[in-house]
Amino acid sequence: MKIWDDLLDEVKKNLPDEIECELKFMHSKSALTRFANSQIHQNVDEESAEIYLTIHKDSKTTTISNNLTAIKDVGEFVNKALVSLEDSPIDKGWSGLPDKSNSYEGFKDIEESTPDDRAKVVKEFIEEGKSMNAAGYCSTYINNYFVWNSNGLKSCDSSSSAFIDGIFRTDTSAGSSHRGGQTLASLEGTAAGFEAAKLATDSQNPVDIDPGNYEVVLGHEAVSTILVFLEVYGFNAKSKIDGMSPIIIGEQQFDEKISLVDTPEDQDSIGFKIDASGSKKLNLDIVNNGVPKSYFHTRRTANELGMKNTFHELFGWGENFGGIGTNVKLLNGDKSFEDMISDVKKGIYINEFWYCRVLDPITQVVTGLNRNGSFLVENGRITKPVGRLRFTQSFISALANGNVNSVGKHSRYSDSEFGEGILSVPQLHLKKFNFTGGVSG
Amino acid sequence: MFEYLELAIDSAVNSGAKYSDARILISKSRNIAAKNGEVENYNESEKIGIGIRALVGSSWGFYSTYDLSKSSLTNAGIKAFQIAKASAMVSGDDLPFADVPVVEDSYTTPHDENPFSVSSTDQVDLLLRATEQMKKLGSSRASGRLDFWDTEKWFASSQGHKIYQNIIESGGGISSLAVGDGETQIRSYPQSFGEYRTGGWEVIKGFEFEKHTERLSEESQRLLVAPQCPEGTMDLILEGSQLALQIHESVGHAIELDRILGWEAAYAGTSHLELKKLNKHKYGSELMNIVADATLPGALATFKYDDEGTPAQRVDIVKEGIWTGVLSGRDSAAVAGVKPGGMVRADGFGRLPMVRMTNVGLLPGTSSLDEIIQSTENGVYMETNRSWSIDDLRLNFQFGCEVGWLVKNGKIIDMVKNPTYTGITPLFWGNMDMLAGEEEWVFWGTPNCGKGQPSQVGHTGHPASPARFKETRVGVRG
Repeated sequence: MKIWDDLLDEVKKNLPDEIECELKFMHSKSALTRFANSQIHQNVDEESAEIYLTIHKDSKTTTISNNLTAIKDVGEFVNKALVSLEDSPIDKGWSGLPDKSNSYEGFKDIEESTPDDRAKVVKEFIEEGKSMNAAGYCSTYINNYFVWNSNGLKSCDSSSSAFIDGIFRTDTSAGSSHRGGQTLASLEGTAAGFEAAKLATDSQNPVDIDPGNYEVVLGHEAVSTILVFLEVYGFNAKSKIDGMSPIIIGEQQFDEKISLVDTPEDQDSIGFKIDASGSKKLNLDIVNNGVPKSYFHTRRTANELGMKNTFHELFGWGENFGGIGTNVKLLNGDKSFEDMISDVKKGIYINEFWYCRVLDPITQVVTGLNRNGSFLVENGRITKPVGRLRFTQSFISALANGNVNSVGKHSRYSDSEFGEGILSVPQLHLKKFNFTGGVSG
Repeated sequence: MFEYLELAIDSAVNSGAKYSDARILISKSRNIAAKNGEVENYNESEKIGIGIRALVGSSWGFYSTYDLSKSSLTNAGIKAFQIAKASAMVSGDDLPFADVPVVEDSYTTPHDENPFSVSSTDQVDLLLRATEQMKKLGSSRASGRLDFWDTEKWFASSQGHKIYQNIIESGGGISSLAVGDGETQIRSYPQSFGEYRTGGWEVIKGFEFEKHTERLSEESQRLLVAPQCPEGTMDLILEGSQLALQIHESVGHAIELDRILGWEAAYAGTSHLELKKLNKHKYGSELMNIVADATLPGALATFKYDDEGTPAQRVDIVKEGIWTGVLSGRDSAAVAGVKPGGMVRADGFGRLPMVRMTNVGLLPGTSSLDEIIQSTENGVYMETNRSWSIDDLRLNFQFGCEVGWLVKNGKIIDMVKNPTYTGITPLFWGNMDMLAGEEEWVFWGTPNCGKGQPSQVGHTGHPASPARFKETRVGVRG
């Protein structure tokens, strides 16, 4: 990409020889078509180009970032970083720059979709529930990422993704569904619309049930939310450093039916094959038959804990966030959804969680609610829709040894509390889940 | 900059847009994070770009780019129109759009010292000192952060608006985390995630972090050995910053007109409020008087015009417990038949403006925190938010706080840990029976309000003073 080549040349020209330097450039085109009350009401398209420059000398480090337009003169931009470096305190956590052997070349031209293409997917979704009120979005992203450092690394990669996510509402109910993939053409707008419409139709006139411990079957989005909390607060090595992670490597913390992997090398994975440092990511076992195998590391967390880097730095977050897996898969089990339901004596099917928040990260006790399709299951059959429930439940205990009855055999990309396209999961059948409140509080 | 904006707007209108407006922003930020006496993150950023929107039929089209060349600006106008037009495949009735006065004006946030003119070394040192001090006093993790934003914004519309604003925001905070046997406890100041205002470096100086390090460190460690918050139904006293978040979640979001109209149904949710109940619905007790006021000097959501050119204003939201107002923009107000409230803002040039809380606050009462505690026989006083969760109608909520203080017969008798409370919005507000006065009224700021797709982060304000809520369920645990 010419913009990158020109920028890199100019930065190199203006850099003093003896300085360690890392230059990152992200060029993105994103578009999102939003619908509500069964019509498209917002339609947005954005092109952005962001540059991060990190320099290190005499044990000091600084990072400055601008978008392309804000760099009027590359020499001034570099000089601003050099001045900032002078004012910086000693950086004890500096962990160096990856070398040439970590380089990766994956840049490719990706064709943009049009607003008409997105509107077509939206239309497919809405038509599955014409008598109901539909809301949601269809989005597409194309990202190109370039990294160079003074230690010889030069990497680039391109990625594309697309999502359809929506709900149908009636006067007394709602149902939702979600699909994600690398391209707009891969989305099943009709299938997502059908699922959401059926959930909304079937969950009309819900009954209130008493709070308490229930057996649960969790839909894809609910499972995804549990796992993303464990990722951010547990498997993120920064949480471990801060003393807030409940994850203990090598201990049987989860049910043996739980196996979690990060799969950036898989063909169907969404996102870059490199992390923010420009290093190629590798497939990684996170939990093997219930036993945690690895945290998600950045250069700094690996250095601080004396562990091997897993290359999970995120672009744009600096060291604030730590390491996060962005291609996480919960491995499938062998149960169909119908078989899971038929195994339930008395329990609840929950399609999606809502507004989940951690009470204490180290116990992973989380509170949140259900929404967009919940049903009472009695003696192996869905008997009636249920209303709003609040849970207060440890997500570690939810997946603990003996509490996972079965794992579903069909996975898909699922939305989560912290984002989409990062988790592909099946449904889960859990023995016990703690609901602490109902409609009346 | 206005000629750049006009180029893009003319292009959108000449393409066929009914209305168009655009904003060019120069956004500077400085973010500093420290941990245990060392810098954890330091970043300075500057972004420049344009966002243009075009109204065609029932839909907005929005396009943004960093490229301010003439050809790019002309293209941006055409693209905004084309994007809006593509919505015709799934369209509805034409979207109405309320008129507001067409003005040419400028505004700069009043401030003493621009935070970007202050040496970054001084700012870093402030955090290093505070976090080092707490670490020495036994904190497992002592952390602090400072954030500064300097946003220059040029707004123009096809109706003739030309508005320049320079909004300066400053904030931050410190916290002490204590790690015990299978649990963590935390204490933060001025509030969890920091306190943010419009203004300069003087905002930070006013916090006086160094006077609070010892207390935070001591309280976070003492919480590890404190008894659990009791479970049951009792009187709940909320400190101001926790009440501010309670207002944000159970009032601020519920009164957003785009939610009430179903425009945010899929993501943020809707509202338990229905427009037909405006001026009738009982939201809370007679002590409850909520206003949305974007003109409060120093509050975080204070400006002169919103991102649609509507003047900042004060709107009554709840008067003596009765729901009387909404947060609106020019389109949503026209649909609902109310006056545009000047409450539409965007997160940078790359995002479509949307309804956003301004300074949605609870007007002060006449009591004081001391009086409230003295008149409470059996209750818990909770300080500083730790967790928050509320349903998509903004009815069923549960909050956790960093620390609780058991109150018996008018006195604080013990510290309790893991305090939580839960409730249903109108019932909870209906139980507010004591409210502290103007002396304890603080303009709390929330810099991390998420809403919209693509996701936007909003800066909102919530003036509040401590209050008491009778018969509230507390001590919910997993």
